[in-house]
Amino acid sequence: MSTRRGIFNTVITAAFALALPLDSALAQGAKPVRIGFSIAKTGIFASAAPSQLNAYELWREQVNARGGLDTGREKRPVEFVQYDDQSNPGQAAKIYEKLITQDKVDLLLAPWGTPTHIAVAPVLERLKFPMVGNTAASSRLRDLKPGNIWFTTAAIPDRIGKELAAMLKENGVKSVALLTNVLPFSKEIKGFLEPALKSAAIAISVNEEYPPDVKDMTALLTKVKQANPDAVLALSYPSDSPLYVRQAKELGIGAKFQFVLIGPTIDFFPKLLGSAANDIVTVGEWSPARNARAKAFYDAYVAKFKEKPDYLDSSLSFLSCEILEQAVKTAGLDRSKLREAIGKGSFETINGNIKFKGVENTVTKTGFLQIQNGEVQQVWPASMSTAKYRPKTSW
Amino acid sequence: MIETLASGQLLFAALALGATYALVALGLNLVYGTMRLLNVAHGDLVMLGGYLTYWAFALGGISPLVSLLGTAVAAALLGALAYRLLFRAMLGARRTGPRVEANSLLLFFGLSIIAQNLAALVFSPTPRGYEYLSDVLHFGNVALTGNRLAALLVAAALCLAVVLFLRWHTMGLAMRALIEHREAAAVVGVDIDRVQIASFAVGFGTAAVAGALVSMTEQVSPFMGFPFTVAAFVVIVMGGLGRLEGGIAAAFALGLIETYGVALTSTNWRSILLYGTFVALLLARPQGLFGRRAVMR
Repeated sequence: MSTRRGIFNTVITAAFALALPLDSALAQGAKPVRIGFSIAKTGIFASAAPSQLNAYELWREQVNARGGLDTGREKRPVEFVQYDDQSNPGQAAKIYEKLITQDKVDLLLAPWGTPTHIAVAPVLERLKFPMVGNTAASSRLRDLKPGNIWFTTAAIPDRIGKELAAMLKENGVKSVALLTNVLPFSKEIKGFLEPALKSAAIAISVNEEYPPDVKDMTALLTKVKQANPDAVLALSYPSDSPLYVRQAKELGIGAKFQFVLIGPTIDFFPKLLGSAANDIVTVGEWSPARNARAKAFYDAYVAKFKEKPDYLDSSLSFLSCEILEQAVKTAGLDRSKLREAIGKGSFETINGNIKFKGVENTVTKTGFLQIQNGEVQQVWPASMSTAKYRPKTSW
Repeated sequence: MIETLASGQLLFAALALGATYALVALGLNLVYGTMRLLNVAHGDLVMLGGYLTYWAFALGGISPLVSLLGTAVAAALLGALAYRLLFRAMLGARRTGPRVEANSLLLFFGLSIIAQNLAALVFSPTPRGYEYLSDVLHFGNVALTGNRLAALLVAAALCLAVVLFLRWHTMGLAMRALIEHREAAAVVGVDIDRVQIASFAVGFGTAAVAGALVSMTEQVSPFMGFPFTVAAFVVIVMGGLGRLEGGIAAAFALGLIETYGVALTSTNWRSILLYGTFVALLLARPQGLFGRRAVMR
């Protein structure tokens, strides 16, 4: 009996202890702004999604440290309402409906990945709830009805195809080997890259596709080595990018321009590959050297999470929060005013000024990054560059 | 083309792949062979081995080739514990005994999901990696990174050691007896319980070592295990369930098909070639390459 009472007492004490922070918040009279989103905690996107969630958490911490989210009239603490969508876009659509209709959240942040954004867009449209997207990139996004969803990225496949061909041409590349993982983003880029290379008079000497579960590229890379192109363009994903780099190093592929699509800007990549990762070019339109805000974000991220932010996903996620924060400051939490503020506003972010036209951010230019001595530098376009492109001369 | 096929480079790639498949499949085959338990969480032990090795390297600067001994012991203890807590009663009970394959499949499936999510919670889902022995070595016209060569040598040596253990050691012989005929082994005085616990320990230990070797060349993440589970099942079904040497031969055969088959066709044919061979083989020899036909008694 006495044990049972002991447990009861512990539970009561714990309940009071947990209730305390809530009490103190209420005592200050500030009702939290509840921001909802779904996140891929499990399933195939789970290893990619932390770069997004970390950025959200950093932003919330910083906003709350500044006294809360400024809604125009008062500052209110930010509180997250989040659910695991199991990397299932259909599940994410249901979660966003629940967040809006049942949880009655004040604002929304984006889920991870292109298919998930596309799946939640109709829910936002039907319930007229604005959301700034981030980790999505496809020319198909332009087919979505504008008004309640916006996309911050400039890494859209048609723009990547055009810019990459331009960068290759400027650096004297005459022939390329094109290796494409058969997943949607890389395939879409390939579709735009091939004609762009053709019109830039760059020959494709090897043009091969490979499955996502590839375990060995020796045969494929032997062909590349025999063709000896000026550049290798590996349209790869994080799971196979290291495989390409490792085996290209092993076989001593001599192409001076080495492009690897997704992976090089993720923290583990240089740690796993060391000097082989040096001078690899990848897609990306942001670097810590972009502006003072960018540097501050980078430093705070590294301090909090003990790893580097993903240059694409973390920066996009963080700046989508910045856009939301600035729009709320002018429009408050009223959805139609907020929609107008996001659609017509101009925002100062860790990636400079951003404005939208339709669903698309038309200010930020599509760019490329290069790992130079362990640091990631913007090398394309010239107007955004933090360093000059340099050829890869050794593995 | 002929030049490519005749080069040692492809042969090395095939052997390196085959050795990893063989080592991963070995433990799965042992646990299935001796107890008819279908461990679909086997790939998660590879993941666990990968993480233990990563943390030993990242925090203590310990070489993976040294820490894999500790990793093996830790995983073996986990195996013994899992057997004691979860599977001994299931195997012993008269009521659940006959359904042990189906029940173990479900139980291991649950354990797999728990292991993955626990790993995501504790280690975070962010992939991790470290650089070790990444210099390229040249042997004639064959170039290979030190870590791949080390992984190949350790995996091959460990497979050989397990095969020798099963041939010559008393415990190994007892394991084989259990694989051949469980009841008969019990009749001639084999201590079934001890053999089963040893099978769990060796099965879990070898999987974790495979994870340690994989972590030298690939990134480690909580969800990396499942493809290894699938590969291991293909290998042991092809080699003949419970036939350990058959499994090793099947693993190297798959390695050869994957590299030479892709060289002759295209990388996009990888899965078609692998699973095509698998299905064709099962149609021709349902008992696997080295399996024996079930005898009606």
